[in-house]
Amino acid sequence: MKKAPAAFLGLEVAGYRLNFKSDSEGIISVLGCRYARFRGRGEGGYVFEAGQAKGSQSPFKPAVSLKGSGLKLERGDFAASLDLGSGRGTLAAAANEQCLDAFLRSLLSFLLIRDGGFMLHSAGLVKKGKAYLFLGKSGAGKSTLSKLAAEAGAEVISDEINLVRPVKGRYRVYGSPFWGEMRADGRPGSWPLGGIFLLKKAKAVRLTPCPGSEALKLLLRCLVTFDRSPGAGTAVLANAARLLAKAKFSRLEFAKESADFLGFLK
Amino acid sequence: MTMKSKIKKDLAYRRIAGEMFVVDAAESALHELNGTAALIWEGLAAGKPAESIAAALTAEFEIDAASARADLDAFTAELLKAGLIEKR
Repeated sequence: MKKAPAAFLGLEVAGYRLNFKSDSEGIISVLGCRYARFRGRGEGGYVFEAGQAKGSQSPFKPAVSLKGSGLKLERGDFAASLDLGSGRGTLAAAANEQCLDAFLRSLLSFLLIRDGGFMLHSAGLVKKGKAYLFLGKSGAGKSTLSKLAAEAGAEVISDEINLVRPVKGRYRVYGSPFWGEMRADGRPGSWPLGGIFLLKKAKAVRLTPCPGSEALKLLLRCLVTFDRSPGAGTAVLANAARLLAKAKFSRLEFAKESADFLGFLK
Repeated sequence: MTMKSKIKKDLAYRRIAGEMFVVDAAESALHELNGTAALIWEGLAAGKPAESIAAALTAEFEIDAASARADLDAFTAELLKAGLIEKR
């Protein structure tokens, strides 16, 4: 008789069901605490046989490669393989949040790009049932803007990394467990994309039109991806062209004292 | 130079919002080409000979043949230096 795994955990992030089975409690316990808000029903989706492994964070940047239907994700402290056809995979990882965060970010960024979406360095807010993304690299003001919005009563999806993908021809932004300075847990859910803003700190609030080429450049610079293959480059450009055609992009200058920018979200 | 050059394998490129964007995923680099450069890139991508690309430049930008050829040679030299094209 086959031995039952000691522990099981199902997560659902950005519409992806990720299930983990393990003979040791360590990884399951860390995943369960870290992603408590994103626990899923545990049916369907991808299934990883997970085992605990030692390792250092060097190399720090995850490496992602795809051969046929076989996906490999590796860093100094984790090694995962996933057959995209069967949905079955293995994960050997250190049982700590930093390691499992890096694993999930690399996996989700790959899946999102493959499905026409993006993992973006951005602030994400909800207003009147729609999600708005504010693109910006480090120091652009994502956390500042998110805090101002939260103080004014708006819901923040994430102040650091947001997940967006097309669903039935329309883009939706998903609840994100990846946060920056605000260090919140996030919550599951998804909202139709209302618009995308290129973020810039200024002395006054101002909204200006944004040329497509400028939007595309910042979009690609804010993209989180670890896949260095030519296929990834092609997919990213195709995804970006579709998003540019469907979503409204604007340039937002905002002052750090005021949440007046929320008035532009409509 | 152009006749003996081709776009490096493994680069992704696409014309978006009127400009040519070239992604070198291995180097995490994004290159943006506009106007003359985009037209030359498309010519190289299609495997056109230098004469044909120069003729397209002349027609599109209303410049004389000598200027078109000079632009073409200068740009292909830049691309070669940037590692975006290679010798055939």
